[in-house]
Amino acid sequence: MPPVSASREQAPVLTIGKLAAAGEISPDALRYYESEGLLAPVARTESGYRQYGEEALRRVRFIKHAQACGFTLAEIRDLLQLRQTDSACCNDVRQRAIEKRLQLAAKIRTMQTMSAALDRLIAECADSSQPVDDCPILAALEQVNGDNGKNPAR
Amino acid sequence: MKVELIYAPGCVDCMAAKSALQSAAEAAVGGVEWIELNVLEALDYAVELGVLTLPALAIDGRLVFAALPTPAQLREELLRRADDD
Repeated sequence: MPPVSASREQAPVLTIGKLAAAGEISPDALRYYESEGLLAPVARTESGYRQYGEEALRRVRFIKHAQACGFTLAEIRDLLQLRQTDSACCNDVRQRAIEKRLQLAAKIRTMQTMSAALDRLIAECADSSQPVDDCPILAALEQVNGDNGKNPAR
Repeated sequence: MKVELIYAPGCVDCMAAKSALQSAAEAAVGGVEWIELNVLEALDYAVELGVLTLPALAIDGRLVFAALPTPAQLREELLRRADDD
């Protein structure tokens, strides 16, 4: 997939090092964004060094903010393409934000369940001086039926 | 049978599809309760159902279609459930 264009006809003003420093990101990350079609240099020098326009810094910040909100790079590429699609409107972006919110809420629930399961295991292991062979946490994790070792059918 | 359409406000596809789906549901089985849920007003419930993409369709409190079905698919699903009862 061709990289999503950062802007139209920009003068090349930034090297990869300068863009990385300004965007508080590593040059390797910028190269990775390029390979993922998120950000391309506007030009290369005769020696092959990447050169970016000023718009690139806004693009880097956009990507970082979106990642902080939980969007994957593929989803960010989708958002960037929406921005360049004349028929797209804010509702299209909003729908993606709502779906991301749902996905985050589902992850939070899963993690709360995991946390509660650990709480139960920790409570079962009140006698921490037992030999490790008798450790109820290890025993519970070995259970294949997911009942945490409580009342196993015999 | 309770059919719930979970949608994002402003979703053009949902609005376009919903009347055909509602008609198909009501024609397929008797006593269909058709409910439209704005996900922003029912976020916890949507998460409980396992909705990750929108629009989605639940039947009797269970997520059955993670993407909107065609009216024919919905009809088939409702008939199958009515037959199971």
